[in-house]
Amino acid sequence: MTSLVSARNVSKFYKDVRAVDDVSFEIEKGKITGLIGPNGAGKTTLLKAVLGLTDCQGTLSVMGLDPFQQRKELMQNICFIADVAVLPRWIRVKQLLDFLESVHPRFSRSHAEELLTKTKIMANSKVRELSKGMVTQLHLSIITAIDAKLLVLDEPTLGLDIIFRKEFYGNLLNDYFDGERTIIITTHQVEEIENLLTDVMFINDGKIVLDSEMEELPQQFVELLASGEDAEAARQLNPIYERDVFGKKVLMFEGVSRDRLQGMGEVRTPGVADLFVAKVKGAAA
Amino acid sequence: MIQSQIALIRRELWEHRAIYVMPLVIALLVSLMSITGQVAVSGFDHAVDIGILGASNLGENERSAAITVLMISLSSTFVFAMWILITFYALDALYAERKDRSILFWRSIPVTDAETVLSKLATALLVIPLTTFAVIVATHLIVLLITSMWLAARGANAWHLIWTAAPFFDNWTATLVFLITLSLWLSPFVGWFLFVSAFTKRSPLLIASLPIAILPLLEGIVFKTSVFAEAFFVRSVKMPLFSGLDNLELLFQEGEDFKMVGDSSLSLLSLMDLGHFFGSLGLWSGIVVCGLFTTAAIYVRRYRDDS
Repeated sequence: MTSLVSARNVSKFYKDVRAVDDVSFEIEKGKITGLIGPNGAGKTTLLKAVLGLTDCQGTLSVMGLDPFQQRKELMQNICFIADVAVLPRWIRVKQLLDFLESVHPRFSRSHAEELLTKTKIMANSKVRELSKGMVTQLHLSIITAIDAKLLVLDEPTLGLDIIFRKEFYGNLLNDYFDGERTIIITTHQVEEIENLLTDVMFINDGKIVLDSEMEELPQQFVELLASGEDAEAARQLNPIYERDVFGKKVLMFEGVSRDRLQGMGEVRTPGVADLFVAKVKGAAA
Repeated sequence: MIQSQIALIRRELWEHRAIYVMPLVIALLVSLMSITGQVAVSGFDHAVDIGILGASNLGENERSAAITVLMISLSSTFVFAMWILITFYALDALYAERKDRSILFWRSIPVTDAETVLSKLATALLVIPLTTFAVIVATHLIVLLITSMWLAARGANAWHLIWTAAPFFDNWTATLVFLITLSLWLSPFVGWFLFVSAFTKRSPLLIASLPIAILPLLEGIVFKTSVFAEAFFVRSVKMPLFSGLDNLELLFQEGEDFKMVGDSSLSLLSLMDLGHFFGSLGLWSGIVVCGLFTTAAIYVRRYRDDS
């Protein structure tokens, strides 16, 4: 079985609110999956269920374990960064390494130290003395030094400037990802991670509205930039979303071949961000 | 399991430095006070010399009793501070990690909620008393050393006056037993504090104190009984370790000249009745209450979802 995470009809209620609504999906080993959704769509709840931080209905299996019941075993093979503020502010870098070394069987202290020498982070610094970007660097270094099978990142670069964000994803790919490991990532800044994803899932109102490999997107979705009569003609093909750009119409289609649109205007593959807007707004319409 | 407990407890000491800083500060103050005190009385040369002479003529039991009184009075400051420390530690233990959201980091590590909460309980009931004990022993030695130097400077035989008479073994063993039994005796409060610290959204001290203040009051008004008042307040002061003895009377004989009981072989350990303590219903019901609250705290940490 290559499926690392397997969800069958997973739901999670908060009182009357369905945060996650009957969701099923598989995530295979070696994939980098982007979980993308608006605020309150259920992303974080779904991730929490995967991490065993919250219980849920349905069948959820992560590396063959029930995440909520077998959290300790699971955590030997999962790492997560919930967001930048999560490392305890009072702890010293050295203490953090000491602690992980004694409780985490898969943590390599020497590897973490090697990664930290590339940064300006000092072993004696307290987390509260580090900048936001450095805290994230620290967290990523630690996690890279844990030989885990699955890494879950929930808005890992929130509040960071562009340089740290670029560096974060650069390090993630260079130091962490080796094709064996699996990553699930959520973020608002879709454009920044678009190029590193192998798979993408859109979630809206607790439901998955798209679950696809990145490579398949150009076959499934196509965008047409047209004006006047061409746009009018294209509209007959049931676009899933339409918007105006500099007086022209941009129409997005699902399951319409490129050949049919050739000659009507400029045909291209939509970006994930636009696709996301189309899917989410389309679902609302 | 043991290794991760040690790591978790070490973690508590990193976070809550007051556990050793507070006793050390008290030790420093007490030591300074013993120096200034001795410098101050040195002004009364004649009286001091007579006093020292008098002390030299006392029997060993009396000198031992006098030193015991000194050691107990030094220890009592620490015992008081220890209880304050335990209270604030337990109230903070599961609250701070939620407030700064580091709980998400701690829960991303392969350690169960039960292991984490138990390490915090062990810190409150065992590590804080043991740290306090170590600092008490050091303070005793420092104060007696300062006194010895002062005595020696005045030409007295400090070795004879203090070091041959000081009942170190008895005093320290009794202190250790007292600190551990006290923390066990008050453990239901510690359990309650941990539980409050696990669930409250704000002001753990207030939330923890309210029921302790209000329940006995309500009970008194509504039922005219005092079960809660006894459970809360009588429990705090009436530990069945000393089996009802008024130990002060053993040290001092009541009477006009208020003289010390010289010939009673004063052993603190002999005042303690461990059999009675460990056989008391109060202790075990308290431990059960502590266990229930601790279990509830584990449950809350595991099932609570703050999103």
